[in-house]
Amino acid sequence: MRYLLRHLTAYDYAEPVDLGVHLLRLTPRTLPGQRVIRSAIRIEPGPTWAREGHDHFGNNLLWLFLPALQRHLRVTSEAEVEVAFPAPPEATATLAWEDVAAAALQGGAAAWQAAEFLFDSPHAPADAAVRAYAAESFPPRRPVLAGLQEFAARIRRDFAFRPGATTISTRPATVLAQKAGVCQDFTHLMLAGVRGLGLPARYVSGYICTKPRPGQERRRGADQSHAWVGCWLGAESGWVDLDPTNNLMVQDEHVVIAWGRDYGDISPVRGVITGGGGHTLSVSVDLDPSQGARRRPGGR
Amino acid sequence: MSVALADKSGVDEMVDGAGRLRPHWRAVLDRIALLGEGGLAERAPRLDRAFEDEGMAAVLPGGAAAGQSWRCDPVPLPLAAAEFAALEAGLAQRARLHTALLADLYGPQALLAEGALPPALVYANPGFLRSCHPPQGAAAPILHVYAADLVRGADGAWQVLAERTAGASGIGLVLENRRILGRVMPELLRGAMIRPLRPVFDYWQDCLARLTPEGRPNPGIALLTPGTSDPMWFEHMLLARELGCFLVEGGDLTVRDGAVYLKTLNGLEPIDLLLRRVAGRHLDPLEESPERLSGVAGLLAAMRDGRLRVLNHPGSDMLEAPAFAPFLPALCRRLLGEALLLPPVPVRWLGEEDARAELLRAPEGWRVRPALDGRAPIVAIEELAPPKRTALLAHIAAKPWDHVSLPPFAPSTAPCLEAGAMMPKPIILRLFLIGDGSTWWAVPGGLARVVDAAERYLGRLPPRGLAKDVWVLADEGLDASASPVAAPAPMPIRRRVGELPSRVADNMYWLGRYVERLENGARLARAAADRLARGTSLPREHVELATLVRTLAVSGMIDRETSASAPGLLASLLGTVAPNGTIGTILAEVGRVTDISRDRLTGEMYAVFTQSLRAARDEAAKTGRNLDQLVHTLSAIGRFTIIVAGVAAENMVRGGSWLFLELGRRLERAAAVLLVAGEALKGPPGQVETGLKLLLEFCDSTITYRNRYLAQMQPAPVLDLVLADETNPRSPAFQFAAIRRLLTDVGGGVETALADEAAALLARVAALLSKVDSAPDQASAAASLPPDLAALTAEVASLSDRLSRRYFTLLPATRTIGVFEAEDLRRGAV
Repeated sequence: MRYLLRHLTAYDYAEPVDLGVHLLRLTPRTLPGQRVIRSAIRIEPGPTWAREGHDHFGNNLLWLFLPALQRHLRVTSEAEVEVAFPAPPEATATLAWEDVAAAALQGGAAAWQAAEFLFDSPHAPADAAVRAYAAESFPPRRPVLAGLQEFAARIRRDFAFRPGATTISTRPATVLAQKAGVCQDFTHLMLAGVRGLGLPARYVSGYICTKPRPGQERRRGADQSHAWVGCWLGAESGWVDLDPTNNLMVQDEHVVIAWGRDYGDISPVRGVITGGGGHTLSVSVDLDPSQGARRRPGGR
Repeated sequence: MSVALADKSGVDEMVDGAGRLRPHWRAVLDRIALLGEGGLAERAPRLDRAFEDEGMAAVLPGGAAAGQSWRCDPVPLPLAAAEFAALEAGLAQRARLHTALLADLYGPQALLAEGALPPALVYANPGFLRSCHPPQGAAAPILHVYAADLVRGADGAWQVLAERTAGASGIGLVLENRRILGRVMPELLRGAMIRPLRPVFDYWQDCLARLTPEGRPNPGIALLTPGTSDPMWFEHMLLARELGCFLVEGGDLTVRDGAVYLKTLNGLEPIDLLLRRVAGRHLDPLEESPERLSGVAGLLAAMRDGRLRVLNHPGSDMLEAPAFAPFLPALCRRLLGEALLLPPVPVRWLGEEDARAELLRAPEGWRVRPALDGRAPIVAIEELAPPKRTALLAHIAAKPWDHVSLPPFAPSTAPCLEAGAMMPKPIILRLFLIGDGSTWWAVPGGLARVVDAAERYLGRLPPRGLAKDVWVLADEGLDASASPVAAPAPMPIRRRVGELPSRVADNMYWLGRYVERLENGARLARAAADRLARGTSLPREHVELATLVRTLAVSGMIDRETSASAPGLLASLLGTVAPNGTIGTILAEVGRVTDISRDRLTGEMYAVFTQSLRAARDEAAKTGRNLDQLVHTLSAIGRFTIIVAGVAAENMVRGGSWLFLELGRRLERAAAVLLVAGEALKGPPGQVETGLKLLLEFCDSTITYRNRYLAQMQPAPVLDLVLADETNPRSPAFQFAAIRRLLTDVGGGVETALADEAAALLARVAALLSKVDSAPDQASAAASLPPDLAALTAEVASLSDRLSRRYFTLLPATRTIGVFEAEDLRRGAV
């Protein structure tokens, strides 16, 4: 599936910003199931200093210093991306979840990179209630993907998608108690739950197709940045992505920008500014099929 | 592995198991014998007092009560030359090992891929900075200072208890111990064959020169401190002074277009080398810990770009994690191809199943500590209350990687003076190394901490304690003239005006304003107190007192309503000097600003400031609720302000610090005199004469007036003397002329716009005077001045604001965006 992506972030400040240094994670990653045909980031006002690079997780990064005394910042990210993530393995054929947990903790050649995603992170701290909620889907020796899929389905079923019910600092335990939130909350909840069981899981940020396909209901989390969970199934099967907000396996409706331990590692536009007074922020995202999108390259 | 869990007493440093004196102690005991019978006991209290007066705690903001500071035991701990050489080699090897470890962990991470290190040690480690681990192109991390805590085991061999790879705190204590010991007990050190500490800073400065990026000449070097609230701030100040670098806080630095600058009066000075005493993860809120804005946004970007070198490398904190210890022998062979020379205490990582099983089977007797936090204390399981113990064991079972276990250890003992006798006390030895990236050099001394049972298990250096000077004995034949007795004298201010950090100028300016505000407040209160003492029977005296009360009330010193009666006024005046009163609060503020400006004052100046300030505060805190006590307090405050003025005039180099102290004083004084004049002239023309007398009294000008004009009290001559006479150091005209000169000096000799404003104020005063002088009825003209005087007071306040904006607040406060706000995911319903 081929998509045109347009992500606009606009900050408008009440007073001029004396100094601003920013970190952008907006360029989609190049991945085995994701080809970035073209991508560009426009910044207005133009930065006085910029460096491109990659972070520890391999995400694309852009550092910016902006000219002094600006009243606004507009960042437009545009890209054309083709996605066709491989189908997940047969769930019943995956390893027992306990074996995946043991392999990850062991580290070494096959698992050391996955092991990074085992541990608590600031936005997804360990919590006994969250762990217990997750554990219902993981009876002894259950194949790991079967457990994960059921867990994602339960989140979709048990929780209301309600923008405004939470803030970025809402903990998974609170989200669990109020049974409502947005994609970011469900992602952090699932992360805390599966990590509580000793399974490596990572926060994936990106977008989901804006317009529903014929006969489908509109996906939750479109029109904005989206978030979902990457799960490690063991050295052989590697990582698969599950979207608990929509109860989907990620295949051809999602575009991946970045991943990390939680939102703190991937915030798309992060900055430290001086001055500026109050500000307003507006964000818009479009992810639409591009020309010839009916074709499914490398399709199922 | 089986470990004896009994807590035995350790070996003794001075005598061997058979009670024989170890030979290298002979040198120490000989020196002590020179002090004569009871000589040590006689000097011990002097030593204690010296540490209380000038030691680290004495200079910490807020001061410290007796017994709250680090003290130094008079009996040093000697280390034989050969033993020290072995320790130096062992620690240098560890420093090299850690450098190699960092290169891998912030590079290819081959040790993780090979399984030589478990992932938890790195990925669950809060000191591992992902921002310093880009997939390609990172410069090799550099360690520059390193310290280790050592305990001597039962077999007599030293073992490493803890390592410091972030900043190596405590070196300031080492230098202070030697300096003060040398001053109080010079006989002890004179002629002793011990290695001097003096070369430390020569070597250190050499290292810094070699470590400057691209070998830039005249590099900008700064030491980054968390600030005066840090318990080791004294050490940061001392190091910055001795290394000749700037002492800065995060807010003093700014990153522009990938380069780091210090905000100074002259603008931005480039910084090439940053010695950090701030945790790596708090250095840059853009890339790490966005909730802490104490760091400098963009610092890590500048570092990655090669514009700045940070020492030690920001990511080096991770190696302080106790969990590394059991892996070091294998890592040393793997990375250096050498056997580890200095063994760690027998620490076991509970992520290993065997270690965990053994501990959970029989927890009694084991000590545990967090595996990834080298600064958290060690806990004895059997000493925990049952609920805490259950919680700890449950935590260990759930997150086994999070703790290490170790058997109890009994440090060796060394003789300490207690109640006049030598008593053996357990000690932990901290040694320090300095390196330039390739070679390491051990500071020939150290910090021997006397530790009681609880202190033994502290992770971090406590804010107080008992230390011993560590003597590294010289090899035979070393030149005895290299005796370390002569300590370097405290150094005066040596920065040029423009290089003064804006924050320091700000502090000095406010110190000047506060001291002057104290003086003016005390003068007014004293004038009121005098009138209370002698009573007010004449109408003129009533008017005077009413004017004083009004002025004090307008200045915010007292409440006008409750000060209407004589008893009410006394209560108000006593209230204002009390610790929570206005003058009491200013006293406290003066103390605070003096403390945080400590690095700009010589030791002597600081001592004089603080002693007289303490005397004033002590008087103010006395409970006597009577007029006598009030007068005593006001006199003590008066003495303090006179001492500050005297010290500033006679002892301070005319650098930036002095300029801003003076500016503060002059501005405050001009405002105060204008205020008093405005209040004194309020009222009908018939009362003008009373007001003029009061004004002369406040300005200390009564005698001068009498000499010039005899007893004739006329408005124009009085106002000329107290407002417009540039030779009267109390007049606003004098202040404005001085401010103009000071601002010109601050501007590097160039008449700035601000200096022009001061000149304009001078002209305004002259105009006021001529208004009275040329009036047919001077009294009426004088009585009409208050609105003009109020306007002029407002102009002074505005000059102060503009001055602050020009020199102090180069940048307003910073904040983060995109991290804590509901950025995009929570906007707009779907």
